[in-house]
Amino acid sequence: MTTFPGASGNGSPQDPQGGGFGQRVDHIGSDAQQLWSDARGAVADLGQTLDLRGRVQRNPYGMMAAAVGVGYLLGGGLFTPLTARILRLGLRLAALPLVKDELLGMAESAFQDYQSGRGIGGAGPAGTASANAASAGTPRPPTY
Amino acid sequence: MEMNPQQMADRARQFQDRVVPQIDEARQNLVDLNDRVVRFIRANPGTCLLGAVAVGFLVGRIASRR
Repeated sequence: MTTFPGASGNGSPQDPQGGGFGQRVDHIGSDAQQLWSDARGAVADLGQTLDLRGRVQRNPYGMMAAAVGVGYLLGGGLFTPLTARILRLGLRLAALPLVKDELLGMAESAFQDYQSGRGIGGAGPAGTASANAASAGTPRPPTY
Repeated sequence: MEMNPQQMADRARQFQDRVVPQIDEARQNLVDLNDRVVRFIRANPGTCLLGAVAVGFLVGRIASRR
């Protein structure tokens, strides 16, 4: 029969003083203390790596938004209609400048076509919107 | 009711005199509020981050229930 070196104590009748059990308790206590200190060191290292305090100092609102997002994900809100709605709204807001430029270009070209069709565009290029706006405000005699 | 341009200009000036200080005051109040909020967040980063995570968690929970 195989005997393990650590299996001789543990309060068995072979060890009437109970020294093996006490040693084990001490060992467990020191292990727990070591684990606690390691965990604290790991948390401190993580805090230093992420630099949460510095990030909050530099960009408080951004960090608050990121924290709300993390909480939203943790709460299970990723695959929900609200997320889809927020994403759609974000896409529309992101596309808004492009659409605005496109509409402005279309309006400008239409106004230039209108002016050149009526023959009031003048000899100059009249390419800017401000020139168009200035000429749009002037009263024109009706053409028959 | 007919109004000549002078009367219209006077009315516009009165309106401006009445509204512009209120707008300035509201802007100053908003700037003060923003400063206070930023100072509070910088003074208590852990509390604010945990609160923000909790708020996001609740919103995500409510959104996932629907």
